[in-house]
Amino acid sequence: MIIIAATVTAVAAIVSAVSVTSPHTILRVATTTSLDDAGLWDYLEGIFEKRYAVDLQIIVKGTGMALQLGMNGDVDAVVVHDPSQEIAFVAGGYAVEAEGFDSARVPWAYNYFVIVGPEADPAGICRGNLTPEEAFRRIQQWGEASPGAIKFVSRGDNSGTHGKEKAIWASAGYNYSSDIQWIGATAGWYVEAGSGMGATLVMADQMMAYTLTDKGTFLAYRGNLDSVTLLDTGDILLNVYTAIICRKGSNPEMAQNLVTFLRAPDVQALVAGLGVPDYGERLFYPYDPKICG
Amino acid sequence: MTEIWDGLTRAVQLIISFDPEVLEIAGRSLRISGTACLLASLICLPLGSLIHFRHFRGKRVLINIIQTLFSVPAVVIGLLLLVVFSRAGPLGELGILFTPAAMVVGQMILIIPLLLGLTISALSGVSKETADTAISLGASEFQTIWLVLREAKYAVLAAVIMGFGRAISEVGCALMVGGNIKGATRIITTAIALEAGKGELELAIALGAILLFLALIINIVLNRLQER
Amino acid sequence: MKPLIEAASISHGYGGRKVLQGLDLSIDKGEAFALIGPTGAGKTTLLRIIDLLEVPDAGEVYFDGRRIPRSGKERLDIRRRMSFIHQKTRVFDLSVYDNVACGLRWRGWERNKIAEKVDHILEMVGLTGYAKRNARTLSGGEAQRVALARALVLEPEVLLLDEPTANLDPVSTAKIEQLVSCLAREHNTTLIMATHDMSQGQQLADRIGVLLDGRLIQAGNAANIFRSPQGKEVARFVGMENILEGVVMTGNEGTVMVNVSGNAIQAVSDYSVGKEVYACVRPEDITVSLSNTRSSARNSLQAEVTRVTTLGPLSRVEMNCGFRLVALVTRMSAEELDLQVGKEVYATFKATGVHVMERGISQ
Repeated sequence: MIIIAATVTAVAAIVSAVSVTSPHTILRVATTTSLDDAGLWDYLEGIFEKRYAVDLQIIVKGTGMALQLGMNGDVDAVVVHDPSQEIAFVAGGYAVEAEGFDSARVPWAYNYFVIVGPEADPAGICRGNLTPEEAFRRIQQWGEASPGAIKFVSRGDNSGTHGKEKAIWASAGYNYSSDIQWIGATAGWYVEAGSGMGATLVMADQMMAYTLTDKGTFLAYRGNLDSVTLLDTGDILLNVYTAIICRKGSNPEMAQNLVTFLRAPDVQALVAGLGVPDYGERLFYPYDPKICG
Repeated sequence: MTEIWDGLTRAVQLIISFDPEVLEIAGRSLRISGTACLLASLICLPLGSLIHFRHFRGKRVLINIIQTLFSVPAVVIGLLLLVVFSRAGPLGELGILFTPAAMVVGQMILIIPLLLGLTISALSGVSKETADTAISLGASEFQTIWLVLREAKYAVLAAVIMGFGRAISEVGCALMVGGNIKGATRIITTAIALEAGKGELELAIALGAILLFLALIINIVLNRLQER
Repeated sequence: MKPLIEAASISHGYGGRKVLQGLDLSIDKGEAFALIGPTGAGKTTLLRIIDLLEVPDAGEVYFDGRRIPRSGKERLDIRRRMSFIHQKTRVFDLSVYDNVACGLRWRGWERNKIAEKVDHILEMVGLTGYAKRNARTLSGGEAQRVALARALVLEPEVLLLDEPTANLDPVSTAKIEQLVSCLAREHNTTLIMATHDMSQGQQLADRIGVLLDGRLIQAGNAANIFRSPQGKEVARFVGMENILEGVVMTGNEGTVMVNVSGNAIQAVSDYSVGKEVYACVRPEDITVSLSNTRSSARNSLQAEVTRVTTLGPLSRVEMNCGFRLVALVTRMSAEELDLQVGKEVYATFKATGVHVMERGISQ
């Protein structure tokens, strides 16, 4: 009896675990942690699935890994935010130009990165109207001087946010890999988390350290954190989210639908309203050709 | 420290309120690890028996290799399978990356050495005379293996329970090949990693408690079965 | 009639140790054959080879005239015509019923037929009412009866037994012996048993084979083995404790005088004068008395008691009469004769009780 029962259970379990819905009803999207941590996909997934009768599967990775999955064809589309990596992806022939848009990279929302840190602000970056580059220089200099008191936590995971952080260090006049990643880490003030945005924020909060974050994730996490926004202005902090259809993906039609969906007027309005009821602030701004380019 | 207490309270709340998302995640954990464990058992019990009963060159070496593989990290298997199952990889045609099937395969590979090794040692606990007696009474090789497995049922069941435990508690492989997709491949351990990353420590602890609770129930059920 | 089982030049060893060395054996259908020999002589190994549990290093086994292949399904088919009760009985961790039924199930019997057979055999071995009990909870004697039932329910053409009563009390032993002989006769089963208990061999077997150091030294009926052992080792093993070295002095119509250390011993034999021989006498064939009772057909030797040991109802008397001689007498007569060390006695045995064999034969 036990044998028969076990066999039946085994067969049932195998069937239910292995049988997946036909691939044409699945759209697989690799997306950055910042979008997921901000709660965007929780919000849009149901609407998209209902509108297109599809199972939208979100795989949350840093921009680097997300684009790697896109190159292999393991996902049908990527939604990311690192212009330099995106350009390389498109140049490598891994993207398909979206119908109705004149580029393979389709921007559909933006917000700003912010520098957050402990309210005490030991490096004093919120005083004197500093630019982001000046703030980073001060964190580096003061950090070298007293690495116990002043720390900066980096994503360190090749994500879009990490890419932006590197761009700021470069713009501030540093050689990122030697001055920051090597010397800073040796001195102890520069910490690479190697984690998603939410985890990095939690870590920075625990260490009373500075970090660079997209605004959406920070607002979503602010309730659990003591960190505050210290600096949020400067052109370099612009953060544009882009959707790209992957050439090797298995469901290009549905990927096209996603791009169209993200730029549809009603969805744009939803994106613009996201966060307002909960945080009193917008998490994202809808697409604006003047800003997103 | 309050997080732990709050987490346990939350766990009880989630269990008694039949929270649909928690139920779904827990059910998926059970299905995937249960399937992996069953399939691995179907492979390992006969195969382990053959290794035990047959005499061949390199048997000792093989058993040493199997025992060494007990400690292969789940994340290494995940990484290998990510490459293998990727559309750009050798088995990309299957299209099972980021599906429960890939997770089942990963967990199977993870626990096969453990189940093989423990099956072999379980059978070593049965006297040689038992197998000889069965053969003398006219049992074929398969019938002998089946009888000896039954003689060693306590140790064999312990092996299966350990295999299941390793499968349901691993996170590295599930995260790599499953992708932690909400509603598709999110299981208890990957959810814990996600929630802990978000700073939702209470929920993470609650999920951890639920995992242990499930393991307890399964142990009780299996022990009941073996007492029959 | 051609033999049912034939073993030809069988040699086998384990890890460099030779256990069987060029052994030949043939057993007829329906025969009851006992293998006797000391521990380590190779009895179990021989039974395992006959049951096809082992493939001999060299030599061939024939069953019913067919040469048995060294591997393949045919071995299973032939093995299924036999049953083997191993020395270390292992009942399976199942009910008594399932233990007895398993051989039939493995042969693919129908459920109803199995139930009928199992119930019948359990009744035969006196275990009715034990069917549902777990076999592991039984006593040694009961477990051995389960093992017997499990083997006999298959109605094998050949039943192999390895020391079937080695660890049992006398009552259980008697019960098992009775069951085996009764059931074997009923179905004309060929019986091959290994035992170190000579009386068991004598009682159950038509023919006895003596296995020494991996060789079958002698095979024959009980009288042949016990009265006329071939070679000193067999003689010693079958209980011929007095093995006296001597030379034939005179011979006359089947009667000889053998000179053993200056004593003339009369024996029944055809050996010619001058032959170097052993004169063998069983201790129980020697009587001890205080007076000389020499007669024409008897040997009576003056001796001095050197040692007396008590063996249950018997006394073992060691004497010196120019050579060492051992006698077995009842304890009562030992007491009546007041046998003590140093006592002068006469040891008497019949000429027909002396087995004379040539020295230098066998090894």
